[in-house]
Amino acid sequence: MNKKAFNPFEMAQTQFDKVADVINLDAATRDLLRNPMREFSFAIPVSMDDGVVKVFRGFRVQHNDARGPAKGGIRFHPNETLDTVRALATWMTWKCAVVDIPLGGGKGGVICDPHNLSQREQQAICRGWVRQMAKNIGPVIDVPAPDVMTNPQHMLWMLDEFEAIHGGRYPGFITGKPVGMGGSLGRTEATGYGLIFTVREALREMGLKPADCTASVQGFGNVSQYAVRLYRQLGGKVICVSCWDQGDQISYTFRKKSGVDPDELMGITDHFGGIDKGKAKTLGYEILPGDAWIEQEVEVLLPAAIENQVTGENVNKIHGKVKLIGEGANGPTTPEADKVIHERGIFVIPDFLANAGGVTCSYFEQVQGNMNYYWERDEVLGKLDTKMTSAFHAVSDLARKQKLYMRDAAYVIAVNRVAKACKDRGWV
Amino acid sequence: MNPTNQPVNSIIEQLQERAKELHTLYKVHELINQQDTSIDEVCRTLTEVLPGGWQYPSVCWAKITMDNTVYQPPLVTETPWVLRADVVVQGEKVGSIDVFYTRQMPRADEGPFLKEERKLIDTIAERLGHFLMQRRLQTTLRGWQSAIENLASPEKREWWVIIEFLRKTDQHLLLRISRRMLNYLCWNGIDEAQQLLHRFAADFTQQAEGFEDNIPLRRTSIEDLLALTEDAFRIAATHLSEGEIVSCIQKWIRDDKSGFLVEAVENQCTSLTDIGQALERYHQLAVQDEELSRSVQIGLRVSLARRFFTEDLEFINIAKNYIEIRDFYELVNHIISPPASHGKLGGKSAGMLLASQIIRKCGEYSDLLAGIKVPKTWYIASDGLMSFVEYNQLEDVYTRKYLEIEQIRREYPHIVQVFKNSRFAPEIMKGLSLALDDLEGKPLIVRSSSLLEDRMGAAFSGKYKSLFLPNIGTKGERLSALMDAIAEVYASLFGPDPIDYRAERNLLDLHEEMGIMIQEVVGSRVGPYFLPSYAGVAFSNNEFRWSPRIKREDGLVRLVPGLGTRAVDRIGDDYPILVAPGQPGLRVNVTPEEMLRYAPRKIDLINLETQRFETVDAAQLFREHGREYPALDQIASVYDSEGIHRPVSFGWDPAESHTVVTFDGLTTSTPFMARMRAMLKLLRERIGSPVDIEFASDGRDLYLLQCRPQSFSRDALPSAIPRDLPLDRVLFAANKYVSNGRVPDVTHVVYVDPEQYDGLESLDDLKDVGRAVGRLNKLLPKHQFILMGPGRWGSRGDIKLGVSVTYSDINNTSVLMEIAAKKGNYVPDLSFGTHFFQDLVEAGIRYLPLFPGDAGQICNDVFLRRAPNILGELLPEYAHLSEVVHVIDVTQTTDGLVLHVLMNAELDEAVGFFAPATLAQSGTPERKTGIPQITEDHWRWRLRMAEHIAAEVDPARFGIKGMYVFGSTKNATAGPGSDIDLIVHQEANDDSRRALEGWLEGWSLCLSEMNYLRTGYRTEGLLDVKIVTDEDFKNHSSFASKIGAITDPARALPLRRPAG
Repeated sequence: MNKKAFNPFEMAQTQFDKVADVINLDAATRDLLRNPMREFSFAIPVSMDDGVVKVFRGFRVQHNDARGPAKGGIRFHPNETLDTVRALATWMTWKCAVVDIPLGGGKGGVICDPHNLSQREQQAICRGWVRQMAKNIGPVIDVPAPDVMTNPQHMLWMLDEFEAIHGGRYPGFITGKPVGMGGSLGRTEATGYGLIFTVREALREMGLKPADCTASVQGFGNVSQYAVRLYRQLGGKVICVSCWDQGDQISYTFRKKSGVDPDELMGITDHFGGIDKGKAKTLGYEILPGDAWIEQEVEVLLPAAIENQVTGENVNKIHGKVKLIGEGANGPTTPEADKVIHERGIFVIPDFLANAGGVTCSYFEQVQGNMNYYWERDEVLGKLDTKMTSAFHAVSDLARKQKLYMRDAAYVIAVNRVAKACKDRGWV
Repeated sequence: MNPTNQPVNSIIEQLQERAKELHTLYKVHELINQQDTSIDEVCRTLTEVLPGGWQYPSVCWAKITMDNTVYQPPLVTETPWVLRADVVVQGEKVGSIDVFYTRQMPRADEGPFLKEERKLIDTIAERLGHFLMQRRLQTTLRGWQSAIENLASPEKREWWVIIEFLRKTDQHLLLRISRRMLNYLCWNGIDEAQQLLHRFAADFTQQAEGFEDNIPLRRTSIEDLLALTEDAFRIAATHLSEGEIVSCIQKWIRDDKSGFLVEAVENQCTSLTDIGQALERYHQLAVQDEELSRSVQIGLRVSLARRFFTEDLEFINIAKNYIEIRDFYELVNHIISPPASHGKLGGKSAGMLLASQIIRKCGEYSDLLAGIKVPKTWYIASDGLMSFVEYNQLEDVYTRKYLEIEQIRREYPHIVQVFKNSRFAPEIMKGLSLALDDLEGKPLIVRSSSLLEDRMGAAFSGKYKSLFLPNIGTKGERLSALMDAIAEVYASLFGPDPIDYRAERNLLDLHEEMGIMIQEVVGSRVGPYFLPSYAGVAFSNNEFRWSPRIKREDGLVRLVPGLGTRAVDRIGDDYPILVAPGQPGLRVNVTPEEMLRYAPRKIDLINLETQRFETVDAAQLFREHGREYPALDQIASVYDSEGIHRPVSFGWDPAESHTVVTFDGLTTSTPFMARMRAMLKLLRERIGSPVDIEFASDGRDLYLLQCRPQSFSRDALPSAIPRDLPLDRVLFAANKYVSNGRVPDVTHVVYVDPEQYDGLESLDDLKDVGRAVGRLNKLLPKHQFILMGPGRWGSRGDIKLGVSVTYSDINNTSVLMEIAAKKGNYVPDLSFGTHFFQDLVEAGIRYLPLFPGDAGQICNDVFLRRAPNILGELLPEYAHLSEVVHVIDVTQTTDGLVLHVLMNAELDEAVGFFAPATLAQSGTPERKTGIPQITEDHWRWRLRMAEHIAAEVDPARFGIKGMYVFGSTKNATAGPGSDIDLIVHQEANDDSRRALEGWLEGWSLCLSEMNYLRTGYRTEGLLDVKIVTDEDFKNHSSFASKIGAITDPARALPLRRPAG
């Protein structure tokens, strides 16, 4: 194998080392946190539709559970490797810690391509995975969730197997279930709302009011739609959104200087978040190039589409008026661009804080499952507000006090919380 | 007669006559339908009834002669003013009807008689004949019954009873049986019999001489012969066992019943109508096929199949096992043909009937296949077209196929109009009118069923028109719409595309005839629309496998909601649902995103209000009329924040939910997939080759619409794999998961080196590879390059697994190859193009996986890595990737050869090798054509046009410094749909550039039109012009890099010399 090859786990470790240096972490804690605490690798024999038995390889990595049961998704991927799972488990530990929810980090997967599997075979893999892990997972040990190429259906099969083995009903064993089968209300809105909760707090700290700040949003998917909606409710104005056009295979920015109305746009949007250009025009929207969202004269930029959108090439197009960037997407800013943004002093709410609404809601789902009592949507979103608000303040306080860049502060606070839990437990 | 000159009186008189005739006919009908009246009574009463139907009843009397009995009113004298009709039973005259006028009356059509009266008397004679036949059969039946009763008594010999019975009832039959018995005995070598035969034969000849005109002589003769009969059977009794004699007699009696039918179908002079009548008569006799001896059965089936369907021996050979004589009864009642027709029904009809009979007699599959229906169909025999042409004096259309294709194309719209304004012969119109009565209340589809269609590997599918009709309005409106549609379908036979297609296949000289199928459209009304719930096509062989677990024999179903037109054709921007009946669980699209992306979004249907064929948005239709849509819960799933799931039927309101077409219900909770699988398997077994069927469902029943041997489009035929290729000529050889195809004349190869790609460290570099491929996709000649790369193209997960591209980055390639190079001890999984599998299918891009290192697989790394890489020249900004991305100009590297990719799914083998370009080759095997100058000279014509443009353009006016041609025109590989790629070197000046663009745009459109007339390919403009500036020219940037390039350089075109 080529040594130079890209290895996500090495990247996660490098990232950790950097933070560990900042907080001057002792060697034992470093050793503990650099690597997962537990790793499982096991075989899942499945009788295929044609009668042949095929053996699949499954993984579960529990990176750290000092702060609570491990939490993380299960991926079905044909080229799944243990290193990928390790890296993702590590990131889950930091993500749960930064929003201060009492969960650790985990991740799992099966080497398989669902494109080559029937529903029945996928079900057999799900059940096989749970049978192999049954003793080492559970509502108070390790809580799985859907991830790449797995969905609520897979979660229900896994839950059913787990409950069959343990003889009881344990809705808190797994998250991502459909509403009515132990799922939580408010999950659709959670990430978008979570983003705006942190934006609201950041503006407040800067002494700004949403009513005085216009925003430009990249994307018009789930996150962006709810973010725009909540930002308007706060009195703010969003002047443009962008989206990918399936037909033309490029993206466009839709601008309406008097303010974008998400409900109006939703009416002319397909399942993929693609907005109908013709109809948008008649509604008074200007159709601009896909990149135009970044150069708008606004106070707030919300990249909420996909990764690597703010790059070295376009970072300098960001308007001088921009005061805040809220990263609704995962990794929307490349390291090059990040440097420029840092230098220009634009306030950044880093992705794993800004879009932590999702994981927080998963936590709520688990809590509701454990007590077998389900909250109304408003209660879920109210609790989400509280969590996101305090998480934001913790990070920004640290950033201010320690004069750290927000992104670094978020990492520092996360690693610090996990390290403290390990020490408090007397592990290191 | 000119109707306007007719005096009113006369018209009224005529009408009165008609009423009288009808009245009389009615009376006759009533009379002969009374069960217990004797023949005597009937005849007597008839003589009383008949005169009332004539023009002058007071001076009219009727006489009926039956055998030797004469029925007539008392005290009449025969006069010369007589109208006579013979009464015929089973082809034999048994009597006559005469109608006399007692005195001379005014002259009319036939003496004093009207032509209507001629018709009337004929009809009555015919009725009487039928009546007599029925009565005879009744007597026969009674005779049989008593004979059977007699059989019970042991003292008499069984067969003797039969003979005795025949002697009383049917002496002719007895005679024929005796003759056969004699033959039989002779064949068994019995001397006595041979002697007798001698006598028998002599008598027979003698008798035959007087047969026609002398009835009494025949009678005596028969009586004599009957004596011989006794002799024959006496001999038989001594030599044969009783059982043998009885079984022989039984068989012969049955065979004899079908004698007239055999005669009718074997005689090449009988028309379809005659055969129809013979069949009808046979039907009336209520003979069961099984009662005939096997040889007669098969003989009849073969002859019928030949007369109705095709001379094609292969077809007949299969059809004779499944299409029984009784299956033709219903068919003949649904055929519309010109009088004395010798036409056939055509390939489509034949295929459908054969398949439906195979399914009906499916034996072991009957659990699954019972209840599969065929829509109500009427047929117009193939010579209906000839009659149409003759009737309208359009004969000169026949020779049009030898005109220049350009002229054919230009004049075709006029032909359509001429056809549509022509009339149908009255007997065809009558037939159509009958058909419309039968098909009332449902929309119709008028389809061609050509005799060439679906035969001999020449699939004419889609070449001829099929038209949908809403079939609503008054009878007159419906009829005229139907005739209009048929005329248009007829005209399509003379359209440029089928003619071109036939020319390519050397079928031009063959006389093409076309039957028509008028079929009810399967479906139901939904809101203002009419459509099937779902429809589609299914193939025995799956040529587009999306998973290595799917075998070729697992088949393929393409399913759509609404009319099947969207499943039959490939429609670039919409997708049918693909399922393999052998592996229904393995779906192409697995994640909700994929399922949404590749769901059918449009529905074809008939709008009953606008009376048109329309395409509507599926989601909107479900929202507005979902509750009326039959079986919608089997077709659509619900999409919400939790993903895609099947609707819970109770209380589900399609108007309230986001629907997406998945067919999950149909494929998982109904026997549909099992039925498809069984149907494909059965038809493949019985027909002996893979098949391709069309089907539709109204939500309740499944209908079979068409069945034919799985036909391949030209490019999807299995290619012969050459065996003697020198290794250095081979670029790759694959032997796993190969589909059919042939991609000739590839000029460029883009190779992403798996090892080098794996070694890339930075994410940006990895992404740059994808971007470079995207740029090359736009730059390289369309569909003349192939992409070879590691693992999974378009992988959205780990970029290391494959080059990150979207479909638009690869949509111009002709083959997409995934290389599974072994890493250590594991071979990476390939995606089978899953990320854009359906896009590949719909665009006809071939997918091929390569496993270097496996036995028999070759990947010529040496060539791929060492051949000159022109990436740096084409895309200087990506020059840093030269180690990873190799762009190879095949022609330059191999001294003028190009790459050919041949794929053969039968052998599961594919090969890519270097050879001279096929288009430049003389006498290519597949493209022999009746119109030579056009098909092979695409590039030459383009080059000539390019030179012409350069010579015409005013360099001074537009500031042009040079013009160049490159790509397929220059490389002599241009196909009928190729662009002409030009580079224009122009001084930078916005005004002159705009002016030039306008000028060239005009050319582009004109050339496109010319090209369309030549080839039938529609393009939006034919010129692809790249304008380069001085700066580009100097820096060799952009397309200027092509000018004077080392490899595949653009060729300069001579410009017009400045005036003066």
